[in-house]
Amino acid sequence: MSSKDEAMETDVATKDAPKESPEQYRKNAAPPKALIELTDVTKQFVRGKEPLVVLDGLSLEIAEGAFEALMGPSGSGKSTLLNLIAGLDRPTRGRCNVVGHDLGTMSDGDLARYRSRHIGFIFQSYNLMPVLTAFENVELPLLLTDLGGDERKKRAKTALRVVGLEDRMAHFPRQLSGGQEQRVAIARAIVHDPTILVCDEPTGDLDRKSADDILQLLTRLNTEFKKTILMVTHDPAAAARATITRHLNKGRLE
Amino acid sequence: MIRLLLVAWRNLGRNRLRTVLTVAGAVVALIAFVMLRTVLTSWSVGVDYAAKERLATRHKVTFIMPLPKRYIEDIRAVPGVKAATWANWFGARDPNRPDEFFANMACDAESTLKVFGDLQLAEDQKQAWLTDRQGAIIGDLLAKRMEWKVGQKVVLEGSIYPGTWEFKVSGIYTASSKAIDRSQFFFHWDYMNDKLPPGRKDQIGWVMATIDDASKSAEISRRIDTMFDDRDVQTVTMSEKNMQLSFMAMFSAVLTALEIVSLAILIIMLLILGNTIAMGVRERTREYAVLRAIGFQPGHLAFFVVAESAILGILAGLLGVGIAYPFVNGFVGRGIEENMGAWFPYFRVEPWVAGVAIGIGILLAVVASVIPAWRASSVSVIDALRRVG
Repeated sequence: MSSKDEAMETDVATKDAPKESPEQYRKNAAPPKALIELTDVTKQFVRGKEPLVVLDGLSLEIAEGAFEALMGPSGSGKSTLLNLIAGLDRPTRGRCNVVGHDLGTMSDGDLARYRSRHIGFIFQSYNLMPVLTAFENVELPLLLTDLGGDERKKRAKTALRVVGLEDRMAHFPRQLSGGQEQRVAIARAIVHDPTILVCDEPTGDLDRKSADDILQLLTRLNTEFKKTILMVTHDPAAAARATITRHLNKGRLE
Repeated sequence: MIRLLLVAWRNLGRNRLRTVLTVAGAVVALIAFVMLRTVLTSWSVGVDYAAKERLATRHKVTFIMPLPKRYIEDIRAVPGVKAATWANWFGARDPNRPDEFFANMACDAESTLKVFGDLQLAEDQKQAWLTDRQGAIIGDLLAKRMEWKVGQKVVLEGSIYPGTWEFKVSGIYTASSKAIDRSQFFFHWDYMNDKLPPGRKDQIGWVMATIDDASKSAEISRRIDTMFDDRDVQTVTMSEKNMQLSFMAMFSAVLTALEIVSLAILIIMLLILGNTIAMGVRERTREYAVLRAIGFQPGHLAFFVVAESAILGILAGLLGVGIAYPFVNGFVGRGIEENMGAWFPYFRVEPWVAGVAIGIGILLAVVASVIPAWRASSVSVIDALRRVG
């Protein structure tokens, strides 16, 4: 890791941590605590007049620094679970506690602030703003902070450097390959130093080579930068990169 | 804030053809609006610039009905009246150019020049007019339009006062105020009166008087009318402005129609902008959902939409006025003043009209974005993210 990347680690990844080396920090740290705690969570939708139970009394704990994959057939509730943890939705019943926040009791505004502070999103189809350059896309989440222009610039550049696209900063999404677009999306997801990275089929639109590059990058973000990663995937090769793989079926963990 | 504005600005470049067409549509609407407002303001320019110290007295029923000429001396004797003159609407046309309309009036030359001090005439031309019984003075715009020159003989064909009337152009006047129509034709009332049959002699159309204190115009007007209350012909006296207004009232239907058309133009512009913004919002539902997901608040999304629309409005306003202003003031206006001076003595885009047009462009753009902004800000993140991909 370059000295600049180390600076990123200090600036971005472990800003709440004591000032010691990453290895020493890991050694001295207490056993991993549950960053994400779901207790008897049920999520029910109403389709027409019929209630549809998507998550059925699900309980789950995910430790800080984990890299977990969620697998399961379509309709099993993977994305719904991801949305609950990301603060995009609230449980119908049960408790959803993430980074010390009881998400079910928070207002829309508080949930938005929670997302901007703690969650980094990586989508299957990248979802970059086509009218903004790679740099401007990465800078986007920082517009919600009080950071000055110089600091935003510094952080966006660092994030792009981490994903290996420092030389593509002025490119628009249409000028990038799929893999590069996803790396810009990852830079956007980490630029504000989130606690958790939420990935919804991050390699679903990529060829094998690009997918492997992205998975390698995610692994690095987990091991080097201590990001807790929760990844929904249908791809067994992608799931193999995770330290834990959970299987969902009909709203329950198997 | 500036970075957020940058995002709104960049969004305009997403579909350049649509943006260009939308701005072009709004520009055309604003040019039409500016032109119509200019017609309306030019039409009423006489009212706006009417001299406050001038009063007009006419027949109580309508100004088409005449007053006895002897009333002029009675009005001159009213305290507060400095000078008074009279005129008759002559209503004649040049038989060689019957389609060219211009106001022609029989007046008392000496008192007319006294009451209308803002009518500018060279001294030698003034003397020539005062001494030539068949002399006439014409406005410079009329002279240019009809290609009449000083010393030229002019023959008019009368309709209210039938017959062929011969005049000689004694002078060409200009004006020091916008209250004076520079496309009129004035000649000696005596010349007309002498030729009339006994039953039509010594009748005047109206009296114009200057007073020494504009603030007393209502009181002096009342005094004049009270004086004639017991006579065979009663009068109504009003300020020059009110007289202009009562003249304009005859065309109220046309003016109302123009007002309605200008309102319709604004509504069309509102719909053009609203449609474009609404389409943009519909197409970007997923992007808005992503922005919401990464922490942007509903207010931020509303800001993007309103700002984008406001930028469109600013562009349309500046371009519309930027085209209409020089087009009217440097090109069309002069032609209209020369050829239609009787109706539009001063046809120019007033700076306030230009300012209002830009303001309306921005305001309408913001109004047009209200519903799309509300839709963008209330997008369901989960549904929108699920819809595509």
